[in-house]
Amino acid sequence: MLAYDLFQLIVFPGALFLFCLAFLYEWVDRKFFAKVQNRYGPLYTGTLGLLQPVADFLKLLYKEDLVPKACDRNIFSSVPIVYVVLPLTTLFIIPISGQTGLVAFNGDLIFVMFIFALMTITVFLAGWSSMSRFSIIGSVRSALQMLSYEIPLGLALIGPAIAAKSLSISSIVQWQSANATWGLWLQPIGFGVFFICMLAELELVPFDIPEADTEIVAGWRTEFSGRKLAMFRLGRDLEIVLASALVTSLFLGGAQPLGLIPPVLVFLVKSLFVVIMLSFARALFARFRIDQMIAGMWKYLLPIAILQIILIQLGLGV
Amino acid sequence: MLSDVAFPLLAAFGLSLAIVLLIYFIGGKISAKGVAKGTGKNEPYACGEDLPAEESRVDLEKFLVFALYFLIFDILAFVLATSFYTIGIMPITYSLIVLIAVTVLMYSGRHR
Repeated sequence: MLAYDLFQLIVFPGALFLFCLAFLYEWVDRKFFAKVQNRYGPLYTGTLGLLQPVADFLKLLYKEDLVPKACDRNIFSSVPIVYVVLPLTTLFIIPISGQTGLVAFNGDLIFVMFIFALMTITVFLAGWSSMSRFSIIGSVRSALQMLSYEIPLGLALIGPAIAAKSLSISSIVQWQSANATWGLWLQPIGFGVFFICMLAELELVPFDIPEADTEIVAGWRTEFSGRKLAMFRLGRDLEIVLASALVTSLFLGGAQPLGLIPPVLVFLVKSLFVVIMLSFARALFARFRIDQMIAGMWKYLLPIAILQIILIQLGLGV
Repeated sequence: MLSDVAFPLLAAFGLSLAIVLLIYFIGGKISAKGVAKGTGKNEPYACGEDLPAEESRVDLEKFLVFALYFLIFDILAFVLATSFYTIGIMPITYSLIVLIAVTVLMYSGRHR
């Protein structure tokens, strides 16, 4: 059975599958974003440009790995690895090929929230260790953004947990399946709050303040090149997979078997829908100013999230 | 669900760390090696101005302490908000763990 466990961890719902999913979702995101803007998007590498993200990743691996001499060498070289490992580990928790995650345990929702905060601290360390002004401004902005969206994110995660009376993502998926409903229909406000917080967490366009390329060159990623930048891109793609998988599991019913269709396909369709929604939001909006972001998060999003919790406590949406 | 692994989360973490380190190591092997040293390639990025790197430091220690406090209380609020179905020892245990963590952080001595 150990061989089967290893197969599960490495190949099918495990690492290899997740890497393929990460590259596929980056392609979907870029293609859809380009189509909205009346462009073609990736076109030449592979059919319809499907292999373009892989080609980009390999190109960055082949490039020279520059380390600025002023930077903090140890942190600078270890941060890209941590940035990939954290979302990859978290994706093993989420139920993808069945109704139970690969390494699911009781209370993994708290772990997911902890990982999200840890990702931002990693980003801060990345910018801080590279000792460039643009990087430091980017990382301070990233920390500021985390302080704003973390509370609504936590409240939006509490909603499904209270409804399912469990802190395990797998149990929340099973609860939705047993009650034949989706979190989206029961807690639409929580879904909206969670979606906006995911946009902020992924630093996608309305909230791409930490890497605003018209103001601060590439934000906290300015000094990274070669394999380190490749790692950051891979980590970002895995984070998009993680965000869409979380939205799918908590609010869209997760990997439910649907007649003869295997749960993986149901999961893929739902999470592709979430990725398309993310890139649609990315195409529609312009970047907020920092003060607009903070004021919006604290003045509007937080009361709305609390309202959702009160509605759940009153018995609506349970 | 894994059936035969003792600590599944640790196993998943170790496995992903190994895979990522492997990719990183391969990247180091196949990457192009620079020739020109001392041509300004290793300077921090600047758009033509002179930006000495030593002047752009923020106080990391203070920030990390704030970040840790925020993380701890954030998770504590989450645990307390979701724990009202479990009457008994569990929420109190969580709170005590957090209290110990905060005490250790306060008296660890390097920031006052």
